[in-house]
Amino acid sequence: MPVEREIIVPKNERLNVSRNFNLPHSPGVRAGDFIFLSGMLSTDPQTGERSPGTMAHETRQTLTNMRHLLESAGSSLERVVKINVLLYDMLEFENMNAVYRQFFPVDPPARTTCGVQLSAGMKIEIECIALAG
Amino acid sequence: MAAGYGWVQSTAIHAGDFVFVSGIVALDPDSGERLNGTLTSEAHRVFLNLKLVLEAAGSSLERLVQVRAMIYDRIEYDALNRVYRQYVPQGPPARTVWSVRIIDAFKVQLDAVALI
Repeated sequence: MPVEREIIVPKNERLNVSRNFNLPHSPGVRAGDFIFLSGMLSTDPQTGERSPGTMAHETRQTLTNMRHLLESAGSSLERVVKINVLLYDMLEFENMNAVYRQFFPVDPPARTTCGVQLSAGMKIEIECIALAG
Repeated sequence: MAAGYGWVQSTAIHAGDFVFVSGIVALDPDSGERLNGTLTSEAHRVFLNLKLVLEAAGSSLERLVQVRAMIYDRIEYDALNRVYRQYVPQGPPARTVWSVRIIDAFKVQLDAVALI
């Protein structure tokens, strides 16, 4: 019996960026006991538009949206096992971390952080793998 | 496909219900020759190679769950998407596009996790 593969979407449709911007990926996929999320940028949950700002602002908005998406699928930030954080400049590492630690106060997930080129002048993109349920 | 270049990696590993695939680049699946080209030509070759690897493991492009699509320059993001959507037209996998430097001057590399 093959393991079930299910597309997951945020309850707030404005945060369904891949659909709204016609991009060829899903917000996330549940595969058996795991949930795999696409990279997320800072998006305004009221308008669905990109919400650029300081590293602190973008980190907070992105992780808030990630929490919403995970909770839409019955998971949570506490169930995240692996995170990849992409920054436009590694000089901002501590500015990201200062906000990041507020979202993962105990037993934070495994994480890799890289400095890369991002789209549309955004400062941070975050993807994760979480346990379902 | 990786063995001929002495890359210290397996093409893919089957673990439980999942198959974890090493970064796939545009190699000729018969000769192993590097097929460097445009991002578009490389992306087609990479998807065909990924399909071969997944099907050899009892999976398929439809069973992909997460992809890291690496491109050499962000300016090619839309070029990638045009090819990409042809291979995963329905219920595409979660994806993040990383703009990075890729081995052997390739323009695109796909790193994937799929269900068996």
